[in-house]
Amino acid sequence: MRSLLTGNEAVAEGALAAGCNFYAGYPITPSSEIMHIMAERLPRRGGVFYQAEDEIAAINAIIGASWAGAKAMTATSGPGFSLMQEGIGYAVMTETPLVIVDVMRAGPATGQATKPAQGDVMQARWGRHGDQVVPVLAPSTPQECFDMTVRAFAIAEELRTPVIVLSDEFIGHGREVVEIPGRVEVPSRRRPRGRGEPPFDSPDPRVAPPMPPLGEGYYVLVTGSTHDAYGYRDTRGFETHYRLVRRLWDKIWLNMDKLFDYEERNAEEADVGFVAFGSTARSVVKAVEILEARGVRAGYVRLKTLWPLDLRPIRRLAEAARAIIVPELGMGQLILDVERAVRGETRVVGYNKVGGGEPIYPSELARFALEVLGRA
Amino acid sequence: MPSAEHFALKYLRREALPTAFCPGCFNGIVINALAKAFEEEGVEDLRNYVFVSGIGCAAWIPSPFMKVDSLHTLHGRAIPVAVGVKLANPGLDVVVVSGDGDLGSIGLGHLVHAARRNMDLAVIMVNNLVYGMTRGQQSPTTPPGLWTTTTPYGSYEYPMDVCRLLAETSANYVARWTPAHFNRLKESIKHMLFRRRRGFRFLEVVAPCTTYVSRRRGLRPGEALKELLRKSVRLEKPGKPGSGGPGERIVVGVFKDEDKPGYLDLYYSYVERARRGGTHG
Amino acid sequence: MGERSILIAGIGGQGVVFAATALAKALFLQGLYVAQLQSYGAEVRGGAVLAWVVYSEERVSCPFTDEYDLALILHQAGLEEAARKNLAWRRAVVDSDLVGAEVPGDVDVYPVHRMAVEAGLEGRENIVMLGVAAGLGYVDLSHLERALASSRGSEENLRALRLGVELAARQK
Ligand SMILES: Cc1ncc(C[n+]2csc(CCOP(=O)(O)OP(=O)(O)O)c2C)c(N)n1
Ligand SMILES: [Mg+2]
Repeated sequence: MRSLLTGNEAVAEGALAAGCNFYAGYPITPSSEIMHIMAERLPRRGGVFYQAEDEIAAINAIIGASWAGAKAMTATSGPGFSLMQEGIGYAVMTETPLVIVDVMRAGPATGQATKPAQGDVMQARWGRHGDQVVPVLAPSTPQECFDMTVRAFAIAEELRTPVIVLSDEFIGHGREVVEIPGRVEVPSRRRPRGRGEPPFDSPDPRVAPPMPPLGEGYYVLVTGSTHDAYGYRDTRGFETHYRLVRRLWDKIWLNMDKLFDYEERNAEEADVGFVAFGSTARSVVKAVEILEARGVRAGYVRLKTLWPLDLRPIRRLAEAARAIIVPELGMGQLILDVERAVRGETRVVGYNKVGGGEPIYPSELARFALEVLGRA
Repeated sequence: MPSAEHFALKYLRREALPTAFCPGCFNGIVINALAKAFEEEGVEDLRNYVFVSGIGCAAWIPSPFMKVDSLHTLHGRAIPVAVGVKLANPGLDVVVVSGDGDLGSIGLGHLVHAARRNMDLAVIMVNNLVYGMTRGQQSPTTPPGLWTTTTPYGSYEYPMDVCRLLAETSANYVARWTPAHFNRLKESIKHMLFRRRRGFRFLEVVAPCTTYVSRRRGLRPGEALKELLRKSVRLEKPGKPGSGGPGERIVVGVFKDEDKPGYLDLYYSYVERARRGGTHG
Repeated sequence: MGERSILIAGIGGQGVVFAATALAKALFLQGLYVAQLQSYGAEVRGGAVLAWVVYSEERVSCPFTDEYDLALILHQAGLEEAARKNLAWRRAVVDSDLVGAEVPGDVDVYPVHRMAVEAGLEGRENIVMLGVAAGLGYVDLSHLERALASSRGSEENLRALRLGVELAARQK
């Protein structure tokens, strides 16, 4: 079915299609529409909608719900995303499937509540204390809001991990045509084969351990403290801790081929290359068209997954290009990883702008690229 | 055949014993009161229960010592996790056990809102008057004058009476006892878990930390128990309420006992209304 | 046809976003791909509001543009905001009652506000403007009518659309 939806509406539709049956959240612009839709739809279809007293309660409630068997999600924006970080870390440590949608707005602090930004990139990656990595998906369109929310649930269930969908105000409030498939498949989490199968260890780090349900005599011990294969705390030993965080780390990084997704154009023959994600990547696509029409060889890598991040496509783009441009609605965060990929072999320049609802226009990006090439 | 085993053992994980609590810690009495309550009610095993705790010594009571599904959560966040479990699977009996710092300080907002919503949870707050796990700092329930590691000259803040606070909300049940009132304590637990099965049910156990309160004050566990008994005043008795400080009284008893519809009752009728209401789905 | 774009510029309370949404819906009903966005401070009324639609026979590659095919300018504040952002257009339709300044480019000027008041359609200047856009061939009238059929005061909206179409016919 084809519909005209905002990105926020598409997130909600994607979640419902994926079988989300528990939503907890706290109102915040520009993500609230997701909450409004879930408030209307979930109770009528046997799901639970819960308006928590704050974002800390929201993230922790979906953790509890997930353990009780629900496909659970929350959505928020900047300040709320900050409050949720400790809970996300707990979900990593306890291997709790969750979907967290962050509709980015201009910060820091309350910033500009109604204006788009891309400043939560590194927070999505590093916002929690300790060693951890959470898959981060970055939609560019309402269509991708739908598709990636579905995918986020699938990843969460399969790998027993929280997954972050990083949208922004432009995408969340922009209305576009979305193709909604009749049926959506999301794998269900695996239960232990017997009481003996450990819920917190796995012979193959790429495979998540099974998740025991509550109330069925598994007597599962869930803890955010360092724990062994059966959930017993070990807050002192090197072996237990290293084994656990190593496995949690590998569970994501060794699944790179499954998790990493991107789109590229002219990557191997571009004189000037762009690396972008989210709403900004839309302008990149157009800027490349403008440049091509002027006879400039331009290309791009658009990241659909921010983490785990495979640096190779960026490296390939850099091999041909004389310069790499990283446009961001912010002071520049993704550029740090691009620089890491390029290793100083090609010039990397940011194009940074944020606030007031100003997009980066394709025309200004194209102009900037010409300038950079002139100087390169 | 009468068993020579301690009655609590069938509800405990043997491999996790002995507990990690300090010798003389009253948390053991809380475990016993829970076990006795289950035993007297003929509960064979705890498979239908989910115990949720935060961070602190009290939070270790269920995790890992009790043989039950347990979620040992972040500091202060036991209540919202328990809410998520209960709402996602209302068939489970969800019990929160945590400390005065966990529930009364960092997690107070959640506690008050769960009580306001008359959320279908049983909550046991073990009030040891300090932050035990982090080595005896002041907590929101620390009585005036008490030495703690962050009030080395004696606590000077007004303490909080969590029971009175919650009694003002829509909570169904609020009570306070001490380990010195073992039977009352156990009966309260039975009441919360088996008689009143809906709404928010809260029990505070005033159980001064053996290591950072009693020993510091020169009291051995037995003497501390006797002091608790001496200082306790029944709620029904007139008199000035106190917060249990040195020389102060501890008001014990049942502050509130009602059987109003709980959160889930209200949610279900809301869902009915929603289903009758409109056209979306 | 390639990508085309329409900007609507006005002030809070004029229904700028409503008009852009209706326009997007109409184009969608026409079978086109559309992207509709807006820029305004949700927390203040009476500030400048810009809303725009980019549409095409193929998926819209980019919803951001600083060069529009058509601009519908409902208020001076919207015009100033567009100027501040250096936005340009090939053609503009301007409500001369509420826009004082000279508008650059190929411009059609109508006393939209006064005519709406005379027709008993005060407050529906936004819809009159959509009618003008239909009259000029940017969007099908029938699909605009369908898009507005379920809105509040749909009768008046349909009349407002027709008034706009008449205005456009006068210009041609
Ligand atoms: C966010 C956070 N802040 C601080 C701590 C450190 N911490 C662990 S337990 C605790 C206090 C526990 O006190 P209480 O709930 O009274 O439990 P008790 O140990 O006294 O039984 C604190 C502050 C933490 N784990 N997390
Ligand atoms: Mg304590």
